[in-house]
Amino acid sequence: MIPPWQVSPQTCRSDSDILHMIGYGSQDQFVKRGAGQTMSAYDERRVLHGLQKLDSQAIGAIYDQYFSEVYRYVCYRINDDTTAEDIASDVFVRLLEAVHKKQGPQSSLKGWLIATASHAVNDHLRRQYRKPVEALSESMADGKPSVHSEVDMREQDRMVQNAYAQLTSEQQHVLALRFGQGYSIEETAAYLKKNINAVKALQFRALASLQRQIGEVSYE
Amino acid sequence: MNNLYEVLEICLQDVEQGADLETVLFHYPNLADELRPILEASVNARSMAVPAPSAEVVRRNRAKVLQHAAQMREARVKSSGRIWFASLRRLAVTLAVVVTLFASGTGLVRAASTTLPGDNLYPVKRTWEDVLLAFTFNVQQRDALEIEHENERLHELQELFAEGRSAKVDFAGSVTSQNGTEWMVAGVPVMISVQTEISDQGIGIGSAVRVKGQTQGNNVVLAEQVELLPAGAALPDEKENDQPELEAENTPAATPQIEDNSGKGSEGETQQAESQPTDVSSNDNISSSNESEDGSSHNSGIDSGGDHSGSDGSGGSSGEVEH
Repeated sequence: MIPPWQVSPQTCRSDSDILHMIGYGSQDQFVKRGAGQTMSAYDERRVLHGLQKLDSQAIGAIYDQYFSEVYRYVCYRINDDTTAEDIASDVFVRLLEAVHKKQGPQSSLKGWLIATASHAVNDHLRRQYRKPVEALSESMADGKPSVHSEVDMREQDRMVQNAYAQLTSEQQHVLALRFGQGYSIEETAAYLKKNINAVKALQFRALASLQRQIGEVSYE
Repeated sequence: MNNLYEVLEICLQDVEQGADLETVLFHYPNLADELRPILEASVNARSMAVPAPSAEVVRRNRAKVLQHAAQMREARVKSSGRIWFASLRRLAVTLAVVVTLFASGTGLVRAASTTLPGDNLYPVKRTWEDVLLAFTFNVQQRDALEIEHENERLHELQELFAEGRSAKVDFAGSVTSQNGTEWMVAGVPVMISVQTEISDQGIGIGSAVRVKGQTQGNNVVLAEQVELLPAGAALPDEKENDQPELEAENTPAATPQIEDNSGKGSEGETQQAESQPTDVSSNDNISSSNESEDGSSHNSGIDSGGDHSGSDGSGGSSGEVEH
């Protein structure tokens, strides 16, 4: 079995093949192109134009291309399937609204989606932190955020997740991109809008912090 | 320290390729102790990775997103009606402002009537002039009014000179002399600098021009812009001008210009409109919003037609989703 972190990045192309994946490119008003070509600025404009017109086909194409990645990112960070699902679809709704207001992505569509997902997660965590009322689970009783209940997690997993929840949102973000999504250091740097060396330092600190938190959690 | 970050990245890549942790660390004996816990943490971080969502989750949320798009499309059709309403409202506001100005504005206008360029109320004076022009429909009266306004500009200039004030001014007149950079326009000394924009190289003695510039202490206007006016443009009646050096008298060019003017009033009108944009806006607002009232109702008809076809198309595809 391929571990989950290896599923996405290798198969996940740039904004490029988006039209082909669902045969969009060969249909009606869209220009026919050979497979393997990268999406030109022209094509990206086309898709965004389709979005602006709220064209179902264009929206469906973008959703099919990116939903899985956005969902996995959100789920990695908040570790609650149901909420992750809502946040991930909300990211696409936000895309529609941003494009409608002409504030949509300028360069990379995927970069925009990841950044928006990260903001949405931060908002959610902030709200949750402010009123941590629902379901005082065992883990919350001793001061740790909730872990999802549906899956019967191994003790180790739960420990890691609790430790991860203690990190700063930037540290969580970089770990989610690097190890949750399996993006390369270069790709991660592009999404963080930082230079590669800064990301190397950031991931070092994030991992060190994670390790320290695991130590503390297991010690308790 | 940089080295440590570099080595970590190399090790991470090796581990990702499937290499054993100890094998990887073996190459960096000096850093091994420091890196081991970090790499262990990375293995833990990877273990948290989430698998792709199930087909059911993907389908459910796809429908949700597309449904939202359909709602946005619907809202868009509705809002095209609102644009029509907005333009109607704008028309009402414009009318209300004009009526208020006529009814209660006289005190303000009277207060403004003696102001000079640079005064706070000066724009009120100019706007009032434009309003008067806009509501003067008789061509001859209108021309007379325009000339009166141009005379007022020259009066203002003289007063500015008398007070030695520096202010932004604009006035029209014919060129009576050109001595290098020192020109006389309607009896006012105008200084041309390298920064002065001159609209037409053909400006010579006798040309009707509009000068925009700044009054200087030494009774000179430093010109920022000199614009050639078309034939028939309103020019000040220079005999009224109480300039001490009445050179204006011996410029025959000015008189035919004025006579011309009464003949070809319509051209004077356009010029006046150009030079005084407030007039255009107040005047145009009424007519254009009148038009847009009609126009947009047509448009909205077309729009909603277009959008209907759009939502029909989507109806087809959202149908697909439901299958």
